[in-house]
Amino acid sequence: MMKILAIVPAYNEEQSVSDVVIKIKLYMPEADILVINDGSIDATSERATDAGAKVINVPFNLGIGGAMQTGYLYAKRNNYDIAVQVDADGQHDPAYIKDLIKPIMLNKADMVIGSRFIEETSYRPSVFRKIGIKFFSALVRFLSNRNIADPTSGFRAVNREIIKYFSEYYPVDYPEVDVLIKLFRKGYRIIEIPVEMEERKKGRSSITPLRSVYYMIKVTLCLFMESLKNV
Amino acid sequence: MQAMFNVYTLSIVFSITFIIVVIELVRKNKLQEKYSILWIFMSIILLVLSSTPLIINKIAEWINIQNPPSFLFLFGLVYLIIYNLHLTVVVSNQSEKITRLAQEIALLKEEKDRKTFKAKYARVATHGQPGGGNSVKGNAAR
Repeated sequence: MMKILAIVPAYNEEQSVSDVVIKIKLYMPEADILVINDGSIDATSERATDAGAKVINVPFNLGIGGAMQTGYLYAKRNNYDIAVQVDADGQHDPAYIKDLIKPIMLNKADMVIGSRFIEETSYRPSVFRKIGIKFFSALVRFLSNRNIADPTSGFRAVNREIIKYFSEYYPVDYPEVDVLIKLFRKGYRIIEIPVEMEERKKGRSSITPLRSVYYMIKVTLCLFMESLKNV
Repeated sequence: MQAMFNVYTLSIVFSITFIIVVIELVRKNKLQEKYSILWIFMSIILLVLSSTPLIINKIAEWINIQNPPSFLFLFGLVYLIIYNLHLTVVVSNQSEKITRLAQEIALLKEEKDRKTFKAKYARVATHGQPGGGNSVKGNAAR
């Protein structure tokens, strides 16, 4: 029996976090659920505890990279075989976790990404976001010569080896695209499976148009710099 | 007529004051020795350059600077840029460490909470108090 951990990083998500936890429990009763409360100023921590998740309260806001890595540290130290990242805002449907971890259980992949774009789905991103995703997909192709249709998706499952790697190294800012390039360079197997995603229901996304342009430029520059590093 | 203060005198006064300030900061434990060394190093070079115009004139001749004192500015500027780069390296290093510290604290807190909860739960179980969940909460509140 494999030990599975669902990592849910949450920053001020009191309105959606408990739904997410309950749904994960429903679809994946065998998984442990760990909410990383990344210095929220609302009731995220209480909501998550009440819903039945283990909660780790980081003493101050670390940002998505630092929060996620806390989850991977926990997974490594408690000997988990598989870790699944699920967003606390409700856009990732826990019903797909089973599909996400299957290739890992069968040892067909080291990382599985829940992708919005390998099958026709009802997900309709804004033009802005579409351009962004296309752009990063092209960037990954350029830097690692592999095709990832949805490189910004944070709905992912990884195996033991990558848990260990992430607990030692995880990028601080824009981790999604960054780790893909790192993992490809290290020769890990990454596959995508189709999932449906919803627009966030409640709360506010941290991404505004202006910020996303800044984000794109910053990530691109950083990725080029990163690709100079030794693996 | 020559001005009372030229750039060399000014530079000498500045370097000496700066060295004193840096040493004072170290003495009061407001600046670590390892960071003070680069500042003192800079002030001494500045002091030497400005107190013996001979050197600076020679350098200016080599690199074709019309006005020799400009070299003082060039030196200061380049030194500051390099020192700034050094500082951002230090900051990067520190922010990485702070992140790791925060993560370790968070994990420790979680572990501790889990243990106290278990201990309390065990005590309640052995004493056979009724209403398991409630008494755990009651104990925690006490």
